[in-house]
Amino acid sequence: MKDTMLETPAIELKGIRKTFKLSDSRDADTVLALDDVNLSIRKGEFLTIIGPSGCGKTTLLRIIASLEEADEGEVIVDGEPVTEPGTRRAMVFQTFGLFPWKTVIENVTFPLMIRNFPADEARNTAMRHIKRVGLEKFVDAYPHQLSGGMQQRVGLARALSTGADILLMDEPFGAIDAQTRELMQEELLRIWEEERKTVIFITHDLDEAVLLADRVLLMSRGPGKVREIIPVDLPHPRFDYDVRAHENFAKVRGHIWHQLRNDLVQQREEEVS
Amino acid sequence: MKKRTKSDIRRDQLIGLAVFLAAWEITAQIMGNKLVLPAISQIFAALWDLISSGELILALGESIWLLIVGLTISTIIGFILGALVARSRTAYWMLNPYFSALFATPTIALVPLVLVWFGFGFPGRVIVVVLAAVVPIMFSVASGLRDDPKDLVDVARSFGVKGELALLYRVRVRAALPVLLAGLRLAAGRAVVGMAVAETYLRLGGIGGLIKAYGSMFQTDYVFAAILPLSLLGITIVSIIGRIERKLHWT
Repeated sequence: MKDTMLETPAIELKGIRKTFKLSDSRDADTVLALDDVNLSIRKGEFLTIIGPSGCGKTTLLRIIASLEEADEGEVIVDGEPVTEPGTRRAMVFQTFGLFPWKTVIENVTFPLMIRNFPADEARNTAMRHIKRVGLEKFVDAYPHQLSGGMQQRVGLARALSTGADILLMDEPFGAIDAQTRELMQEELLRIWEEERKTVIFITHDLDEAVLLADRVLLMSRGPGKVREIIPVDLPHPRFDYDVRAHENFAKVRGHIWHQLRNDLVQQREEEVS
Repeated sequence: MKKRTKSDIRRDQLIGLAVFLAAWEITAQIMGNKLVLPAISQIFAALWDLISSGELILALGESIWLLIVGLTISTIIGFILGALVARSRTAYWMLNPYFSALFATPTIALVPLVLVWFGFGFPGRVIVVVLAAVVPIMFSVASGLRDDPKDLVDVARSFGVKGELALLYRVRVRAALPVLLAGLRLAAGRAVVGMAVAETYLRLGGIGGLIKAYGSMFQTDYVFAAILPLSLLGITIVSIIGRIERKLHWT
């Protein structure tokens, strides 16, 4: 294995802090959503983020994507601090984020057209990735004509065709039925094993978090903080064997569940009292 | 009941039309009073006379021009006010009562004021059309832009769309387009009414002027011959907008 300590990290977070106002009024109470989040993600790493609801994991991803600004702290992409969305990072959204008035191909070419790619080059690139996710028969379909799983494949094809080397995925399979989700996980991992892009993947599904990750970031809530980072030692390609039956899978899953469970129980006790 | 195909509907419409025209013709022949109810044949003769003399084409041109100018100005004003009202609650509560009042007031009631303030020339007529048409456009812009498609705005931003203006036209306006066009269609219908009012009550001109002129000479067949293209004009405009609407709607 290469010495990863010397390489510039794909993404570095330094002291990220974020507060939200509870209402629009000027003197509204604020709530601390993220407090002092520090993190370093290697190039080509698959990091999943899991935590109890309300721990600020989506906010953290939005800050990494520069869709939201942190109150304090820095997001550093490949050594450079960033404040605006950039072409190195591409996002996949929980609700798919497809433009309902655009066809599949128009949705996938959208980021390229924004960057003024020639139309035929954009189309070729888009077609290659649409084929990759198996939707070549649906290039001219509209999103509402597709199932949830197919819509998210379009979302994935769109992110891939930007050529970004960092994928930011916000519970991308959360709104997809269980069986399709397993298939999508397999496809995503297959694509990742081919290209080794850096992936940050938010999920609330424990199995999914362990199944996909090189490392799982466990967050705690009130305020959102990094609680623990757990390395997942499972060989690739992971779908060539029964990953869930692997002893490391059970070990990591058990460890994370133990921690999550404590948080959840505590949260419930707070709510009761 | 079995589902009706397009040709079934067309057949029903043709039968309805034939019965209607026959009933009209028979009634007219029995009454024998051209002043009250001219026969279909007389109306078509009058229509042919209006066409061949060039009178109708000229009037239609004048009316269509008035509509185009009036609707364009209504769209611009309606868009600016609608966007303002959608963005600012203060503007909404300040302006909304007046626009609701304007929407409820028959345009014809405002004609004397327009005459005093703007005269009876072309500008006055345009104002009447705008008064009739601007409110539905403003309302539709306001309601279309108020439901902010936050998720899609984020998508666009994340893929490099920068600036409020670019986000407005790439996402917000496009997402609101079906609502905007529905408002424009409603506005077009009202604009045709406003146009006819302006042409008959300010100064005679266009199709409205034709109708009024022949009406005051009691040439009822010519009145009908002029009403026919007027309603055709209204139907055509509304159905063109409806067609664009269907094309741009995604479900």
